[in-house]
Amino acid sequence: MDSQGYITLTRQIGLMREMQVVANNIANSATTGFRQEGVVFSEYVKGMDQGESLSMGQANIGATSFEQGTLTQTAGTFDFAIEGEGYFLVETPGGERLTRAGSFASNGAGDLVTLDGYRVLDTGGAPVFVPPDAASIAVGPDGTISADGNLVGQIGLVVPAEPKDMTREGGVMFDAGGAVLPAENAKVMQGFVENSNVDTITQLARMIEVQRAYEMGQSFLETEDERVRRAVETMTRSQG
Amino acid sequence: MRALKIAATGMAAQQMRVETISNNLANMNTTGYNARRAEFADLHYQQVARAGAVTASDGTVLPTGVQLGLGVRPTAITIHLSQGSLEATGADLDLAIDGKGYLEVTMPSGQSAYTRDGGLKRTGEGLIVTSDGYPVSPEITVPDDARSVSINGDGEVYVYFQDNAEAQLIGQLSLTGFSNPKGLEALGSNLFSETEGSGPPLIGTPGEDGLGTLRQGYLEASSVDAVREVTELIEAQRGYEMNAKVISAADQMMGATTQVR
Repeated sequence: MDSQGYITLTRQIGLMREMQVVANNIANSATTGFRQEGVVFSEYVKGMDQGESLSMGQANIGATSFEQGTLTQTAGTFDFAIEGEGYFLVETPGGERLTRAGSFASNGAGDLVTLDGYRVLDTGGAPVFVPPDAASIAVGPDGTISADGNLVGQIGLVVPAEPKDMTREGGVMFDAGGAVLPAENAKVMQGFVENSNVDTITQLARMIEVQRAYEMGQSFLETEDERVRRAVETMTRSQG
Repeated sequence: MRALKIAATGMAAQQMRVETISNNLANMNTTGYNARRAEFADLHYQQVARAGAVTASDGTVLPTGVQLGLGVRPTAITIHLSQGSLEATGADLDLAIDGKGYLEVTMPSGQSAYTRDGGLKRTGEGLIVTSDGYPVSPEITVPDDARSVSINGDGEVYVYFQDNAEAQLIGQLSLTGFSNPKGLEALGSNLFSETEGSGPPLIGTPGEDGLGTLRQGYLEASSVDAVREVTELIEAQRGYEMNAKVISAADQMMGATTQVR
């Protein structure tokens, strides 16, 4: 049985996936708190009935880069960036989520909310309240909020207990997939937002690589097709 | 082929960024204007191989899985509330707000709108109005025979008459604060209206309850930082080009697919 076609196909499907991931990274190069993604190809070995085994390259593993993004100064009172490992805790209809996109606002009721309107929580899971009539709001490196010099609350900084269970969600959020722990090596910076950590140059280079690899795969399929056709031709001719 | 559509969402996002920047630059000299910034978030993810899926009968699980993102979407165009610099004009009805707060004006429809543009004028009847002719609330009328008008930091309006050295108090200007001024809806003409997001207007005296003070003879300049805008413009343009490159690469990949017999 001819397996060349199938082996190439696994590779081509994987490359298509990677192209989509690269496109998503580049599309999100201006998204606050976005984390770059990559695809890892792994070998899938299939034993044959007799003789050698088949090895296919499949892309079934995703890898998120948790590298720190650059910070942009906005001077906004409710703009926060996290330096170090940690996430803000956000209350969504689907449960608590983690995010690094610290561009917040206070809603009419005085709750600190994300730009999608979800409430920001403290480490204990209670909504963070910001007095609407305060003249100045200052947030310390540990997330402590003081309004006109009085302590009013603390923005929660957490890390997932099991980082490997973390999954991505839309809206620059992550699902911790389990318990969260207070972050120990994180620092909040008020008046800054963290940029997307997408390295656009590398992504463009990777895009070209993927494209060429894909074309190579297609040309292999073409050559293979040609070879089989010739073999069939030759055999039918020798028969007649 | 989703890469095409993903890159298209990226191009749309960068274009929105350019539009926001161009509006900021166009309003570089608009009194009381605050710069806006487009904010984005990633779209939802397609689960191709779920993390934690069992990969072998002995219970080995996939550690990370594959989640394919579907692009980017705009979440908000936030207004950057920062104090613009104060420019001295010397005009007696030019007011700059030093700190938080908005002047309340009454629109022709009877509804209230809020503005930080303190370039006020006087009508033929002496009523204090905005440049568009909307009266400032509470309404204050300056008498015809007033020699000069003096407004102090707390919003008290005094007039001096020709034959009287003693100033007379004719009214009190108020300022309006909002718990979330970023939630105000821009109406154009430097005016804003309250929304569910901004919270109700909190009317107060200038200099109290966290509100700013008034400065007579000054106007608040636009807070647009041209250097920052131009830097962002370059970034947005390059971002747009990169997304366009992805589209052409994805297109060529599709071309390669269709060429196979």
